[in-house]
Amino acid sequence: MDFVPGGELTRRIREGDVSAESELIRQFEPGLRVLLRRRTGGDHGLLQDLVQDTLLVVIQRLRGPGIDDPQKLAAFAAQTARNLAIASLRKAERQRTDIDSDLTDRNADPSQGVDGLAADLEAALAVRALLRELPHARDRLMLKRFYLDDHDKELICEEMDLSEAAFNQALSRARRRFRQILEERGFSKRDLLSLGL
Amino acid sequence: MNQEQIEQYVAGKMSQAEAEAFEVHCLENPEFAKQVEFEQRLKAGLAQVARGSTAEFVRSNNPLRFRLAAAAAVVLCLSVGFYAFHASSGGSQPLLSAVSDSAPRTGPTMRLALVRGADTAPALQKGLVRVEIVGLFDTGVHYVVSLDRLEPKKEVDTLATLYAQHASTPMSLEVVIDSDRLERGAYSLRVRRQSSDEEALDFGFVKF
Repeated sequence: MDFVPGGELTRRIREGDVSAESELIRQFEPGLRVLLRRRTGGDHGLLQDLVQDTLLVVIQRLRGPGIDDPQKLAAFAAQTARNLAIASLRKAERQRTDIDSDLTDRNADPSQGVDGLAADLEAALAVRALLRELPHARDRLMLKRFYLDDHDKELICEEMDLSEAAFNQALSRARRRFRQILEERGFSKRDLLSLGL
Repeated sequence: MNQEQIEQYVAGKMSQAEAEAFEVHCLENPEFAKQVEFEQRLKAGLAQVARGSTAEFVRSNNPLRFRLAAAAAVVLCLSVGFYAFHASSGGSQPLLSAVSDSAPRTGPTMRLALVRGADTAPALQKGLVRVEIVGLFDTGVHYVVSLDRLEPKKEVDTLATLYAQHASTPMSLEVVIDSDRLERGAYSLRVRRQSSDEEALDFGFVKF
């Protein structure tokens, strides 16, 4: 998908072009998910809400007063998302009446909320399928050490007696298969336009 | 932007300025962003699986071990079938039984799930109660389900155990409890993988 310059989208949205709003959603939604996933600790419900809120704020702003530098529309949307994520965490903190530990848990424990649980289960199921398919125990341990223990590639290669090329190849194969498993289950078929704007 | 930068971002190894520039790049490049999201989900999925057990990462691919496991499973299935036949021919419903495909979906049901911070336990209704245990299950393996009675200052009393149970879906495993044969009190359904030293999951409930 080619990126439509922010200036062009800004102008069309200000002129009331509804298709430009759809284009903006298609372009920004995946990036907003990445940005907000990092800030919502796997709480899928909160993630979806914040993606929608961000897109609403951006579109309403473009329909109205616009932004100072239309060429920096992506940066504006990213900052809006960060602000909304911070506001959401602060709101949750204020509303908390019982023990405070849950808030800090949110970043470490993505099991909050029914939707969040479902999202984790999907990824976990795909990982399980992936681990079952990997022919060598070495590959499974390599994934664990790289993603969970955060060990550097060099260290893993050295300790597991692997060349960097072999490491990258195994990692790349695992990524491709993980993506394929998720896509076969339909996870890549989200309707990006069903945001109710 | 390249794969190495994706890895650094997902691992949280970028400075704030770098991460913010990376995020703007993601917004401007949706296909790239999708690639990053898969990396985030792979890491999250691995973490989720590792929370259950790290055995997934270290199991051996020894085919002999699988053949033995399969043989053991067949023997267990036959044993369970033999037991079930005798139990049913005797005319009495076992305290804890498996759900058959032909079993009617009417009647009381109870849903058990591990809910963080929950301070109340679900209550078991009267009669034959179909219990859905919600969790993360592998439909390709057997599970052992035990019904325990929990009494203060006493050893846990295991009342019944079912072997070779299959999860009906990757997210639920069903059994039937004859509630009328239970006294009032606190109980727990314990679920664990068969032939595994994984820690069991406990799902508590009460009978009034």
